[in-house]
Amino acid sequence: MNRRTWILITLAVIVVGALLAWRYAVNGGVKQSASQAPVAGSAAKGQTAPEFSAATDKGFFDLAKTRKPVFLEVFATWCPHCQRETAIIDRLYRQYAGRVDFIGVSGSDRAMDGQSPTSEQDVLNFAAVTHAQYPLAYDGSLQIAREYLQGAFPTLVVIAPDKKITYITTGETPYGELDAAIRSALAH
Amino acid sequence: MLQSGTVTFAVRILIGAMFIYAGAAKIGHFNEFAAQIAGFRILPAGAVGPLAVLLPFFEVGLGLYLLAGLLTAAAAIVAAVQLVLYAAAIASAVMRHIPAVCGCFGPQDRATADWPHVAIDLALAAVCLLLARRAPGIYALDNRLGNT
Repeated sequence: MNRRTWILITLAVIVVGALLAWRYAVNGGVKQSASQAPVAGSAAKGQTAPEFSAATDKGFFDLAKTRKPVFLEVFATWCPHCQRETAIIDRLYRQYAGRVDFIGVSGSDRAMDGQSPTSEQDVLNFAAVTHAQYPLAYDGSLQIAREYLQGAFPTLVVIAPDKKITYITTGETPYGELDAAIRSALAH
Repeated sequence: MLQSGTVTFAVRILIGAMFIYAGAAKIGHFNEFAAQIAGFRILPAGAVGPLAVLLPFFEVGLGLYLLAGLLTAAAAIVAAVQLVLYAAAIASAVMRHIPAVCGCFGPQDRATADWPHVAIDLALAAVCLLLARRAPGIYALDNRLGNT
């Protein structure tokens, strides 16, 4: 084969590859169920969970003081995927009441309108709009987000009683997957 | 003293291996790579997914061309352009105070994109342009096929 043939073959492969990539991505091959978050914290599966505490709308939570598994959500009030995920988290919250501590923590400096600065009231509005029942906290320092966010909202974390992270993911996640992660942490 | 063709060959292998490693580390982690691309806040949402799928394979392919010494000069120029684009994206994020994750070598690479990354990418782009100028070096398919 000569040079021209190789160039044509290469260009053809690139064009076909681009079309296949586009088809794969738009047909659900790439998860488009998360909102971007320009932070990737140090938290990782198998590692000890970074310490945190927060005042939620249902009382003070301190990771160091709980002996139960913890389900942590880092969300943004403006994130539509976070708004939808609350229904699944609420279902799990009711199912595991008393056995697992649930907490959602705000992780963005922007409010529900996507423009103005976030606030405690913004988190309360989020709870009202989504009818979220699990404890929600406003973290103005964004310290918890800096530790736990994995580049996208929502970031969902399960922490076992020994404080090891047993599950961490991003984006809208089905009930079955989260249920399995919590059961695994309970058996840990 | 090393012959010019030998040095060109060595550079070709190093740059080619780097691209193959960078691409292979992203294959199978399209969701995470898409989130990293989106974190730069440059591309429209509809372009992020396809790019997250295509780019890893493109990098591996580019690396293979450089390793094999096939269309070496063109491959080196494409690599240089790609590295300049990466440098521009990172510089844009740094100037907008967006702490984007580089993701240069897959989802495990959580280094924050910063000015040293820009400098490294530009230096590598310069090396690629030199490679294009001196291509293909020894042990290249271009030599066997008479493509030069």
